[in-house]
Amino acid sequence: MLDAMSSAIERFSARDVLFADIRHEVRSATRLAVVNSALRKFDRTNRAGTVARVLVGECWGQASTTQAVTASTLKELLSEALRMARAGARYSKKRIEISHAKPLTMSVQQKMKENPQTVSDEEKLSFLVELDRAQKVDDRVINTNSVYDESRFETRLANSAGSRLEWDEIRMRAMVQSVAREGSKVQFDYAVKDGLAGYELVRAIDVNNFAGECGRGAVDLLSAAKPPSGEMTVVTDGDIAGLIAHEVCGHASEADEVVKGRSFLTGLVGVRVASDGVTLVDDGTIEGLRGTVPFDTEGTPASRTEIIGRGEYKGYLHTLETSARMGVLPTGNGRAQDYNHRVFARMTNTYFDIGKWTDEEIIEDTKDGLYVIRPTSGMEDVVGGGVQCLALKGYIIENGELKTLVRGMALTGKVLDVLKTVDAVGDTLQFSGGTCGKGEEDYIPVSSGGPHMRARMVVGGG
Amino acid sequence: MDKERIAGKLLSLSEKEGASQAEVFALTVKTSSVYIDDNIPKVADLKTEFGIGLKFVLGKQLGFTSSTLLSESPEDVVKRAKSVAHVSSEDPKFVSLPDPKVASGRMDRFFDKPTANAGSPELLEKVMMLVQAAAAKNVSVPNGVLRASSIDFAVHNSLGVRAGSMSTNVFGFFTAKAQDGGVVGEGVQRCWSRDLSKIDFPNLGNKLKSQAMSVLNATAFKENWTGIVAILAPSEGSEMVHQLVGSAASAENVNNRSSPWADKLGSQVAHKGLTVIDDGLSSAGLLSSVVDDEGVPTRKTTLIESGTLRSYIFDSYNAGVSGVSSTGNGLRRDPRDSLGRFSQPASCGVTTLEIPAGTKSLDEIIREVQKGVYIEHFAWPQVDPISGAFSNEARNACIIENGEITAQVKHCLLVGNMYESLTREVVASSDREVHDYCVIPTLAFSDLELVGQ
Repeated sequence: MLDAMSSAIERFSARDVLFADIRHEVRSATRLAVVNSALRKFDRTNRAGTVARVLVGECWGQASTTQAVTASTLKELLSEALRMARAGARYSKKRIEISHAKPLTMSVQQKMKENPQTVSDEEKLSFLVELDRAQKVDDRVINTNSVYDESRFETRLANSAGSRLEWDEIRMRAMVQSVAREGSKVQFDYAVKDGLAGYELVRAIDVNNFAGECGRGAVDLLSAAKPPSGEMTVVTDGDIAGLIAHEVCGHASEADEVVKGRSFLTGLVGVRVASDGVTLVDDGTIEGLRGTVPFDTEGTPASRTEIIGRGEYKGYLHTLETSARMGVLPTGNGRAQDYNHRVFARMTNTYFDIGKWTDEEIIEDTKDGLYVIRPTSGMEDVVGGGVQCLALKGYIIENGELKTLVRGMALTGKVLDVLKTVDAVGDTLQFSGGTCGKGEEDYIPVSSGGPHMRARMVVGGG
Repeated sequence: MDKERIAGKLLSLSEKEGASQAEVFALTVKTSSVYIDDNIPKVADLKTEFGIGLKFVLGKQLGFTSSTLLSESPEDVVKRAKSVAHVSSEDPKFVSLPDPKVASGRMDRFFDKPTANAGSPELLEKVMMLVQAAAAKNVSVPNGVLRASSIDFAVHNSLGVRAGSMSTNVFGFFTAKAQDGGVVGEGVQRCWSRDLSKIDFPNLGNKLKSQAMSVLNATAFKENWTGIVAILAPSEGSEMVHQLVGSAASAENVNNRSSPWADKLGSQVAHKGLTVIDDGLSSAGLLSSVVDDEGVPTRKTTLIESGTLRSYIFDSYNAGVSGVSSTGNGLRRDPRDSLGRFSQPASCGVTTLEIPAGTKSLDEIIREVQKGVYIEHFAWPQVDPISGAFSNEARNACIIENGEITAQVKHCLLVGNMYESLTREVVASSDREVHDYCVIPTLAFSDLELVGQ
């Protein structure tokens, strides 16, 4: 198939075409869900599709199909993409020369200890049944949910720079969610373990700890207090720090938002934006993390990009196009959800790097504050420089000790103000995987992380 | 591919492989899109996708698989579905796939041919009308997408269901950025319709511009207010109502006990002034179709009538568990984008939630508020559907004092509990808009908290 794709690209010529590529993807997945001790879902999916992109002026045309891949189909896709690129280019103000894309010929197969396809379905189901059982730590746990998700993305890519690539990405995910009820009060807790890995990820899970803590967490939240509201000292664990890293500066560092001047971080390279203890990194090469990829969707190898280094703003996350426009090298951050979605600048694994405090020292050093854990979601504010991070629970800190458990809350603030208030950074990294949308759609696997951190933020809880 | 022929073939192969029951969902989606970047059409695309979802039943054992049939044959898919069912443990709650019933009208009842045929030239023209209306010396349209889709599905099952529906959807999302020196303001507008010609793009562009300009004057809210009224624009209220009511009224969540409305049929769950309907045949709804994604005829179901919980929504599985009929709420499609939706089994979800319009205009509602806030745009409106808690950051809002708007604000949190809010008076405006899963008016909720920086 790669030969046919390369051949179609080589034969495709038009004077105004600046770049073209064809991608063929096969996405297969196995998903099981056990709810209240019974198997509720067992799905196996297989999606395959082909997409062609063509650049004319500064506008892209893109055509995708799920029809069989033939020389004729590929030619039609390229022609259709060209037609649409030309239609858009009537409004084009410039030409984007993607001359720095290096021709690569590689075939990369993911390394793992245990291929999940060699593990029987019965064993996977048995694992979920155990997770379900372990959540029932109390009669007040009235609903248990256990999910197993294994996915394989296979990609083949040929482009007009001469690249011929094929690779796969295998991800595993185990998730539990417990719901507890007492009278009219209903609360939930969750736990997730995921990564770019084989079945060894599942084998490493201590079922009773993983699922039992989730069940206990839901029960504990039934008696949790409403959190305080207003601006206060907040200590985050690594998961919340990761969510803040992702939402606070990650999205606004995606270079497509910078070349059009939408990001509040536009033009800030070399400027101090945070306290000395803050270093923010995006790194698509970290072994085993959910956002790790051998190549981005455009075929650029993943890399490590320092976004903020010891408080100073360093650089952006690039696609082929944005790097050409800004005269730098691509960073391997051009990603698309699948063959039906656009490629633009996206994060991989984004995290605050470590400092020198232990987690305990940060808590002990905090007289009054709020310790926040268990992220649920976040939303960036690329234009205004704000942030919204939602968390499931936390503890009030009084005189250096964790006291009252509090339930769901939002953290917000002006990013550049918040980062300048960071005065303690922990020495242990913690990552959690998730799915990142940009704006309101285009979902891709990522992870985010960080150490325990302390800053001033606005809190509001319901 | 011919979806009827493929569906028939997969069903026949499944029966030959020993399925006691089988169901095939075959979906063709054609979508044209234009993405705007910095006032120009950055990407124009055409996507055509065909895929099938196959449910294979062996007695009480259920398996589901899906495929685009590009890298494998129908025989491969059926064998995989059988192997999944074979490994599955028995589900004692499963009763049956749905029986055939007469659909609620012609299958093209919610289909608009010009919208289905709209390609990138038509979308380019429309979207540039919006950009030209919005763009000014200090205002640009840095982000946007407009897409038009035709959605055509067939459902065949071994009990004789041979149904399907065709529909069209248009979705647009645009932002504008206004700048005055170092001060920036962002406007956000969405548009939803089944008919491209019904959207007034120049008007949308003008709204986008004025919204972005108005945020230039917004300042961070600095106080903490409790016991206030919050008026939510339909774009924001619709998401919160859908997340809460869609989850609490879902028979799936009722049957698994995670819904706070389990065992509450006939009870007062909302203020007596509130009525909420799920209408699979909504004239404006984006998921309207003559059958749901299991081939069950769609219908109107009153969920909350004058504050009393009257019904849950049921797909065929949960209807079987509860010993009632499906309400036509077995869904796979999504109002925003139905590409790839063949790859999951139908689940219990709302079609279109409707809240009747009230009698007052937005201005009249504002005039009656002593202390409150009008939210035009949250970072993203979210509610925890299990506890009802919410805490959402307002990015564009107006402070109301003594019946008048006194300030434009941003960066503050609206905090409350939606289950509790529903039990207090909810004031609805006289005009309604379609957004995502809802057709609802502007809604005013009382006794909430506004937390400033």
